[in-house]
Amino acid sequence: MTGSKPAAPGAQAPPLGERAAPAEAEHGTRSLLSDQQLLAGARERIALTAEVTTQLAGSLNLRRTILRLFALVRPGMADWVMLAMADDSSSRLSLFGGKNPTFSTAVHRAEAEDLGLTRVLRSGRSELLHVVDTGHADGLDSMIPHDGLRSEATALRPADVLGVALTARGSTVGVLVLVRGAGRGFTEEDVALAEVVAARAATALDSARLYEERTRVASVLQSGLRPPVLPRPDGLRLAARFRAAAQHLDIGGDFYDVHGSGDDWLVVLGDVCGKGVEAAVLTGRARQSVRTAYHFDRRPGGVLAALNAVLYEEDSDRFVTVVCARVRPAADGRSAEVTLAVAGHPPPLLVRADGSVVETEVAGTVAGVLPDVAYTETALRLESGDTLLMFTDGIYEARGPDGCYGMDRLRALLPAYAGASPAVVCEAVERDVVEYLGGRAHDDMALFAVSCER
Amino acid sequence: MAEQSDQSDAVLDALGRFDGALASVDVDAAVAAVEGLLDDGVDPATVLVDVISSAQRIVGDRWQRGEWTVAEEHAATAVAVSATEAVARYARRVPATRGRVVVACAEREWHALPAMIVGTALRGAGWEVTLLGASTPPLRLSQYLQDLGPDATAVSCSVLGALPTTRRFIEASTSAGIPVVVGGSAFGVDGRRATALGATAWAASARDAVAVVAELPTVVPEAAPLPGPAVGEQAALELIHHRLFTGLRERWALAAQVVTTEQLPLDSVAAVAVDVVNQALHAVWSALLTGDPTTLSETAAWTAALLFARGVEPGLVDELGRLLAADLRDFPLARDLVDRHWTDGALTAGRP
Repeated sequence: MTGSKPAAPGAQAPPLGERAAPAEAEHGTRSLLSDQQLLAGARERIALTAEVTTQLAGSLNLRRTILRLFALVRPGMADWVMLAMADDSSSRLSLFGGKNPTFSTAVHRAEAEDLGLTRVLRSGRSELLHVVDTGHADGLDSMIPHDGLRSEATALRPADVLGVALTARGSTVGVLVLVRGAGRGFTEEDVALAEVVAARAATALDSARLYEERTRVASVLQSGLRPPVLPRPDGLRLAARFRAAAQHLDIGGDFYDVHGSGDDWLVVLGDVCGKGVEAAVLTGRARQSVRTAYHFDRRPGGVLAALNAVLYEEDSDRFVTVVCARVRPAADGRSAEVTLAVAGHPPPLLVRADGSVVETEVAGTVAGVLPDVAYTETALRLESGDTLLMFTDGIYEARGPDGCYGMDRLRALLPAYAGASPAVVCEAVERDVVEYLGGRAHDDMALFAVSCER
Repeated sequence: MAEQSDQSDAVLDALGRFDGALASVDVDAAVAAVEGLLDDGVDPATVLVDVISSAQRIVGDRWQRGEWTVAEEHAATAVAVSATEAVARYARRVPATRGRVVVACAEREWHALPAMIVGTALRGAGWEVTLLGASTPPLRLSQYLQDLGPDATAVSCSVLGALPTTRRFIEASTSAGIPVVVGGSAFGVDGRRATALGATAWAASARDAVAVVAELPTVVPEAAPLPGPAVGEQAALELIHHRLFTGLRERWALAAQVVTTEQLPLDSVAAVAVDVVNQALHAVWSALLTGDPTTLSETAAWTAALLFARGVEPGLVDELGRLLAADLRDFPLARDLVDRHWTDGALTAGRP
């Protein structure tokens, strides 16, 4: 991008040819070009390739990189363009583009075995073919192993087909197939330019391909570590929020879960030491331990004791703070019995329907540090309009211009939301804390609120 | 023709019931009102725009007139969210065949509902939609853009304070070649601010967004840089926002005590001061970035309406403009904008 032009909304990226074409059109034969003009042309090409690099560098996504490449190449360099990419992990050849740049399909490599396309892919050498008006469109057959795509290109006869190898990091990862119709042809310089563009594009495409593979691995691994979708138990309303310290991740060291069925549920909210991916892996283990423990013992104290034992035996220096709330809603949805236990976690706040805010009285040792720990339980009753709010230290330790957000600000905020739904309470707290941060970095933050259904 | 008017009667009728459900925080009634329309074959986009969005505007007006507290507004909005989820359940029955759109709110934008409405409307029109929630950091948006490679980004911006972060979203999207459509009340009544910020397109409503997204180019160039001096002033103002805000609020509260001694209006001024002073400073940011000074006159008019509804001496609007201009003495572009455009709004609106 030149960057100095004002953005024209809706405009396509400037195609290469828009800049390349006039230099050739204005000056008849090449022999008449002065040294100065040759120099100017060379400068133009350098600028052009730099632009290709810049534009393609903006995207790490394979599909978007391909779309951008097409926008750069067409219509200036070619009337029709297709990209073939080899996929090492399968026997398929992915084809992109044609008339519709968003089109994609795949063919078996065996089908293209004896074609020019495969030759370019193997040899890494470009091939230029001329296709005459009549008879077989064998040049097109050779480069385009797909009926629909080939018939699009056939419509451009008499055509010239240029297959350019996309070689990056020592291997040829694909072929860019350019077609020019109506006898426009490709000059030697055109081929040279196409090869330079292809070289730049190849690196970008290969990076995007690598990134896509990593993304697939990461997203599969991450899926088990993401916050769960909450169930909708009869007689209860639940809401939760999570904001990761690492802004671009949806995972971190804070976690929550809901287990149970019918009229007996366990809400778990916790915080492992550390943040980012390492912490997220530990939350995965802690969550699994809780899930298993809950299978044998539904009491919060029992669940925490089991979690503590498991983490302690793992012999790591990691520890976890957790709050567990067993919630049993009444059949009419107007009240719920709650049993609480915590392992080194801040006690939840109870926002009564009348606006009073009560800190629950419950305490216990962090899980994973001492061998045998018994956790005491506290019982309370949620009435209609009451909300039990659980949170991690990322909330009250959020640092803004006036120091920590603190528990006092949290207690002062909540009375206005007495009787509100858990979703509203969580949203209000999250918003107040994030606004208080004023754009500063923060630790992982998690909130979980529970109230009766009516 | 008769069918058309029958349907618009039904929509109006549902709007009335829906608004009642918001006021009484009755999720079941709100969901029933929208589901009734959908069952009768009314288009999801119509339900979203003419019922849910319309009712939400009424909610905003009630807060502005001092009839509702912020907590009441939030409770009503939560009911509207549940109703939108009900529409989304219908919209998901439409096969997704048209590609993917990432819908998001930039940082400082906490009104997640309009984005949800746009996302639901797009889903109902056959787009795969990935909805990122309120106040999303630009890094998170970029991560999603690179991971998903969508056909478009849609950004909803209701508050002026989120226009600078919306610009960062526009940069994130266009630098990946992805077209970006913007909308929401912060953009005003036409596409001028959207164009100035480098957006690919502007949508007037969720319904319009569906039409606009279908017409977007496949690839866009990176958004051009904004004018350097204005961007510099805005960045500096954002950096010292907390200090400016605190000082301005104190001085404005003092001014309020000078013009009135009665407790009730003074309490009202205190209650709206945080919003008003923030909005005034955000209007300056917006005017700098978009080059559109109507953000200032609109904010002055909005403040005048807010104060008028609470029986407060209207001269406080002009006073806020004077205090604001004085605080901006080190920022020539910003100060000039306030000097020339704040009073336009104070004079023209909110007065009987």
